Amino acid sequence: MTANAQVLLEARGISKSFDGNTVLKDADLVVRAGEIHAVVGENGAGKSTLIKILAGVYQPNQGVLLVTGDERRLHSPRDALDCGIVVIHQEFSLSPHLSAEENICLGHFPVTAIGTVDRREMRRRTLRLLERLAVNVDPAQAVGDLSVAQQQMVEIAKALSFDARVLILDEPTAVLDHDRVRTLFGVLDRLRTQGLGIVYISHHLDEVFEIADRVTVLRDGERTGQAAVSEIDHDWIVNRMIGRAFPVHHKHVRSSGKIALRLDQFSQAGVFEDISLTVREGEIVGLAGLVGARRSEIAQAIIGLTRPTGGALQVFGERVTVTNPRAAAGLGIAYVTEDRKARGLFLNRPVSENLTMANLARFFRFPFLRRAAERRFVSDMIRALDVRLASVSAEMRTLSGGNQQKCLIGAALAVEPRILILDEPTRGVDIGAKQEIYRLVERLTSDGLAILLISSEMEEILRLSDRVVVLREGRVTATLGREEASEAKIMKAAAFARGNRAA
Amino acid sequence: MPPETNATMHTMAAQAWRVTRQQLGVLLALILLIVIAHFVSDRFLTIPNLLNVVRQVAIVGILAIGQTYVILTAGIDLSVGSILGLAVVLFAGLLESHSIAVAVPLGLLAGILIGIINGIGVAYARIPAFIMTLGTLSFARGLAFIYTGGTPIPIINEDYYYVGNGYLLGMPIPSLILISTLIAGAIVLRMTPFGRCVYGIGSNEDAARLSGVPVQRYKIFVYAISGGCAALAGLVYSSQLGVGTPIAGQAYELDSIAAVVVGGTALFGGKGSVFGTFIGTLIIGVLANVLNLAGVDPFVQQLFKGGLIIIAVFIMSRNRS
Repeated sequence: MTANAQVLLEARGISKSFDGNTVLKDADLVVRAGEIHAVVGENGAGKSTLIKILAGVYQPNQGVLLVTGDERRLHSPRDALDCGIVVIHQEFSLSPHLSAEENICLGHFPVTAIGTVDRREMRRRTLRLLERLAVNVDPAQAVGDLSVAQQQMVEIAKALSFDARVLILDEPTAVLDHDRVRTLFGVLDRLRTQGLGIVYISHHLDEVFEIADRVTVLRDGERTGQAAVSEIDHDWIVNRMIGRAFPVHHKHVRSSGKIALRLDQFSQAGVFEDISLTVREGEIVGLAGLVGARRSEIAQAIIGLTRPTGGALQVFGERVTVTNPRAAAGLGIAYVTEDRKARGLFLNRPVSENLTMANLARFFRFPFLRRAAERRFVSDMIRALDVRLASVSAEMRTLSGGNQQKCLIGAALAVEPRILILDEPTRGVDIGAKQEIYRLVERLTSDGLAILLISSEMEEILRLSDRVVVLREGRVTATLGREEASEAKIMKAAAFARGNRAA
Repeated sequence: MPPETNATMHTMAAQAWRVTRQQLGVLLALILLIVIAHFVSDRFLTIPNLLNVVRQVAIVGILAIGQTYVILTAGIDLSVGSILGLAVVLFAGLLESHSIAVAVPLGLLAGILIGIINGIGVAYARIPAFIMTLGTLSFARGLAFIYTGGTPIPIINEDYYYVGNGYLLGMPIPSLILISTLIAGAIVLRMTPFGRCVYGIGSNEDAARLSGVPVQRYKIFVYAISGGCAALAGLVYSSQLGVGTPIAGQAYELDSIAAVVVGGTALFGGKGSVFGTFIGTLIIGVLANVLNLAGVDPFVQQLFKGGLIIIAVFIMSRNRS
């Protein structure tokens, strides 16, 4: 990383507004060859708008883009591609039924003399690209059969096949587990040495310090800081991101409530085995583990989405069999899914309907819904969750990730649960919303709610949990009390096989 | 903070109005069409002609209301035309030896039953709605042919004939049936938990299931409603014509889908209303009527109708983005 390396892409004084709302104000960004440039900021800070301008999706109201020193106007993503700028979104743009090599060459297939696809040349190009990344993907395999991490590599290879010089990655680690993040960083490092300029968007500051050379911080559409990563620390970034300090708050109320949820050798053949744990009223039990530890699968068996094949489930001391989520709600168990867009929210319905869908019975007096009661409930809930929105009639999809997530939790609370299962409750939300969600969760426990917290974020598990149960491949590998739980112990139990595996 | 609460209450109260605003475009299109129709033919805006229009749209209008429920759940019901045909021959056949009080409930029940079969296939056997209802399209039509042996059954029943051709309070009875169905359909959809869940299922079926919505049961309800509406449309059809013919209602499923789509209901589910569908039905009906009045060749009329559907969907998809 040298300050005088070639500047591949420069955004100068970029402003953008929609319907009079300014979302970017005079923002600058310089991407140099052989440099990874992280862009951080809360949701709504203007990161995605900036990316879309760099990718030719939006045109700025003011400011200019310089591609290797020449001013260019990017009118479409195609223009950006021609300038060697490629964005890799969180949702990949791959065709699942085509093979890896077909995806990589899609749009510019090599052809033979008679106009058919030159399969040998396609294979050769693909292997060359994959070799450049030093990753192992079968070029002939259908992309839909590849793991998410492998799909990401195909996506990157595809970008390279268009002679990308600037690669923009939007939250690339959001879909990856710990090991795969290592692999990705290896690839990015390799591309850096090959002279690419990489823009790296992330919520994870640790990653910024690990992989990036330079960081730009955005807040409310303005650039609040820009520095070489080697010259700054965590606090420097956080202060510029949020402009306010969060008190680190640890609750120390130990629970003495009744046992709300007890799993006793809870099993599902081939998925998870012998899961035993208890959650008391007012207590948060963290379920830690890597992707593939089957934590969500356990949650889904508890709420009756799938059937356990062995063991017992007790709710407030009574042994129960849960056949579907409705029955679970009847027992006072609510589940907040990890995938709010695909499985949690009604994105094209009003926010209000999202909040009451799980418990319409509450507002029903034969034969009709009582709108006034529903309205009251919704406005109370919006206030309690501190959801920021223009109107409760707005479609859910118009809300930011953090506000959507709060609504998702609110919808689960509508059934007045006594046991709440939170699956990755802060996935893809910004730092501010994350802190608010933590405070909300802590407030819920002080009201006596029993919470089972599934999280891949170590910080979250350590901050919130009274006890941590660590899983690996469907088995409990450790149960740690609040005082003994540490990142090292959890990682060890989550990531390394131990001698006590059943024969 | 009371002001914010107030704002929340107000916007929610305004929600009913907002949905109508969504449909405002469709309504404006209808008004525009009526104005054009008036200039094309001065016979258009006459009481007899308008009554004629509302009578003519009754059958497709009733089918389309049931179809709206299905499409709101992101499904589709291709069998409605055939269910109509089956109901028509059952009404006719049963009236040969039974009273209206027996024939009508049994005919309606047959429609609901086919709908339930559709619903079971879609909800439990997880057969795609397009395929399941394509199957029952053929199946119900086959039953109608078997029942009649292929020949139409005449209906000789004064009271029954009156249902299709009589007037009540100055309105043709078929139109009154359509309007009653519309009102009932709108109330159930807007004001009951079931109706709310229909939108939820169409918007995100997985989320609905996780929210404890009995998705499978409600899907069966939705197809049963569509089957029931189809049989009700069959009642209007057979009483208007005074004959039970097994070919009744062929291709009507497409007209019902067209009415739903022109009325602004999204084919991917979760957005739309029966009121919109009603306006959509009227737009198609008025268009057909004015083309008739203007003496346009029936073959050419098909082009207008096709163009209308494509333009309507085009405008809506632009509005969405």
